[in-house]
Amino acid sequence: MAKKYTLDELLIITAAREIKDGENVILGVGLPTTAGAMAKALHAPHATLMMESGILDIEPLVPPNHIADAHSCRGFSYATDLFSMFTMTYRGYVDVCFLGVAQIDRFGNINTTVIGDYYQPKMRLPGSGGAADFLSYAKKTILTMRGGEFVNTLDYFTSPGYLDGGDSRDASGLFPRGSGPVMLLTTKGVFRFDEQTKELVLAKVHPGISVDDIRKDIPWDLKIAPDLAETDRPTDVEIDFIRRFAPTEAVGRKLMYELAIAHSFNKALARGK
Amino acid sequence: MSVTENKVMTAKEAIGRFVKDGDHLVIGNYTVGTCAALVFEVIRQQRKGLTLYSQSGVFDVEVLVGGGCVDRLVSTYVYRAGGKEGGSAVERAMKAGTLEMEDYTNFQYNARLVAGMHGFSFMQVLEGAMVTDLFNKRSFLGDDKYRVIPCPYTGKQILTVPAANPDVCIVHVQRADRFGNAQYWGALGSVAAAALASKRIVVSCEEIVEHDIIQSSPHLTVIPGYRVDAVVEIPFGAHPTEVLGYYNLDRLMYALFFMSDMNGDGLKAWMDEWVYGCVDRHAYLDHYMAKHGAESLDAIRAKAYYSAPANYGAAYTSCWDNEDRERSMGVTLAEMERILEERGLLNG
Repeated sequence: MAKKYTLDELLIITAAREIKDGENVILGVGLPTTAGAMAKALHAPHATLMMESGILDIEPLVPPNHIADAHSCRGFSYATDLFSMFTMTYRGYVDVCFLGVAQIDRFGNINTTVIGDYYQPKMRLPGSGGAADFLSYAKKTILTMRGGEFVNTLDYFTSPGYLDGGDSRDASGLFPRGSGPVMLLTTKGVFRFDEQTKELVLAKVHPGISVDDIRKDIPWDLKIAPDLAETDRPTDVEIDFIRRFAPTEAVGRKLMYELAIAHSFNKALARGK
Repeated sequence: MSVTENKVMTAKEAIGRFVKDGDHLVIGNYTVGTCAALVFEVIRQQRKGLTLYSQSGVFDVEVLVGGGCVDRLVSTYVYRAGGKEGGSAVERAMKAGTLEMEDYTNFQYNARLVAGMHGFSFMQVLEGAMVTDLFNKRSFLGDDKYRVIPCPYTGKQILTVPAANPDVCIVHVQRADRFGNAQYWGALGSVAAAALASKRIVVSCEEIVEHDIIQSSPHLTVIPGYRVDAVVEIPFGAHPTEVLGYYNLDRLMYALFFMSDMNGDGLKAWMDEWVYGCVDRHAYLDHYMAKHGAESLDAIRAKAYYSAPANYGAAYTSCWDNEDRERSMGVTLAEMERILEERGLLNG
C-alpha cells in the first residue's frame, strides 16, 4: 500500500515535478527551495539551482532558510552578485522561477506588496523583492499561493502575468515571447493558463477537495479543464526524501512551531531556567 | 583618508564619528550577515531623521524603524511578522504617518547603487516593470523614482533609475585588516555596491587579520582599504543573523524577535532588553548566554570547510637570478652601471 502524505508534502512534491532535468532554476524562499532540492536529488540531477543573492549551482544538504543561505550547502560552483543574477535572467538564461502570491487576478498578475491602499496600508506585505523582474524575464514561472486570495482587481500590481489576457503580454513588446506564469499551486488544487485567453484554468484538485470548494474562493466564473483530475499522488520515494531532507516542512508550519516551542521550553527547564 | 591614521575603533566611536542625524544610511548586507551590532549602536546613539536604504529590510529595518531613527525608507522587501494577525514596525509607522517608503525591485534598488558606485547618474533597468504599480505609484522620489528615455542606439524606450550615493554605509564582513581591506564571501548580493556607492564606510568584522592574509586572497576583498573610514572587530557582530564560516542563523532568537515584533509593545520590550539594555555586543552576548545558555551559541558555530587555496605564485620575485645577474640582460648591477658609464648615458 502506498504511503500516506501531508498536504505540505503534496505541495512541495507537485512543485518539484515542474523542474525538468537540465533546467536553470531560480529558487524563492520557502517551499521552492525544498522542491528544488528534491528535483535535483531525484529526477533532475543536471538542473542548476540558483538564488538571486548570487549563489549558483547549489546542492542543499538542509532546507535553505532564505534566498541567501549558503549555510545550507557545502560550497557551490559560482559566486556572483545580485546585479548579475538579474541580468542573466534578462538575457534569457533562466528557465524556471518560483514565486509566492498574496493576491492573483484572472490573468496571473500578482500582488505581494500591500492589502488596502499603498500609502495608507491595511496590511503591508513584503513587496517585490525579485518577483517583478523574475516574472517578467524567466521563461516560465511557477506561482504558489498559501493563504492568499483570488481577486478581480489587485490592490497593487507588483508583478506582470498575462496583463489583460489573450496576447496582451506578448503584444506589449516588453517581455520575452511565450514567457509568463505556467502554473498556480494552491492548498486546494493546481491551475494552468488557457492557451488562447491566458486565464486561470483549474487542472487538478487535491484529495478531499471539491470543485465547489475552489469555486467559492474565486470571484469570476472559473474555467475548468475538460480533463480535470485529482492531483497526482506522490511516490513513496518522494515522500521519504522530503521527510528525511526537510522534516519540519513535511509536518507543516503549525505542528513544527508547536513541537519546537515545547522542545525549547523543555531545554530551558533542563537548564533550570 | 591616510592609511597611517588608525581606523580600528569601537562601534560606539565609529557610529559616533561617521553616522549623523539626517544621513542617507545604507545597510551594506543583504539578508545574511546583517551588521546587527552596528545597527544597535545607531539606535543607542538615537540617530534621527535617517533616510534608510536596505536591499532586504527585514531585521535591520524593523529595529531601526522601531527605534524611531528613520523618516524615509528605500527598500524592496520588508518583513511582516505573524501573518494576517501580526504586523511590523514598518507597517505601524506607515499607518501612523511617521514613515514614507519607496518600493523598488531587488534589481532596481541594486542598480541605483551600482550606478552610484561607478559614478554614473543613472542605470538602465528591466523594462517589464513599466506595466506595474512599482512604476505607477511613487512616494517621496516622485518623478525621479524612474524615468523613461529612448535608447540612443536602438530607439527602444528604456526604463532607468537614478544613481544613489548614500552618505554612509554600515556593513559586516567575515574579516578585514587594520587598513580596512574588507573580505566577504558567500552570497555576494549587493554588498560591494552598497559600500562603494557610499561617501563614508564603517566596516565591522568577525576578526581583524594581518595584512598578509588579505594580500594572499585578494579575490575575497570586496571593499578596498582606501575607501574605509572605520574598522570594528565584533565577534558575533551579525547575530542573530548568520555569517558563513562563523555561525548559522540563530533560529530560536530570530523567531523570538519576530514574535515580539508583531506589535509595538512587544518590539519595545525586545529592544529594551537586547538593544538599550546591553551597552555593547559583549554585554549582549553575556546576556544571551545567561538567558539561553552558552550551548545555544555553541550549537550554531560553523564547522570549518575551507576554500581550496588559490595559487598567487609567480616564477620569480626579483629581476636578479641566483648569481645576482639580471635575468634578461645577463649582467650584474655593477656591470650594468659600468656599461652605462662607458656609453656616456649617466648624467650629473
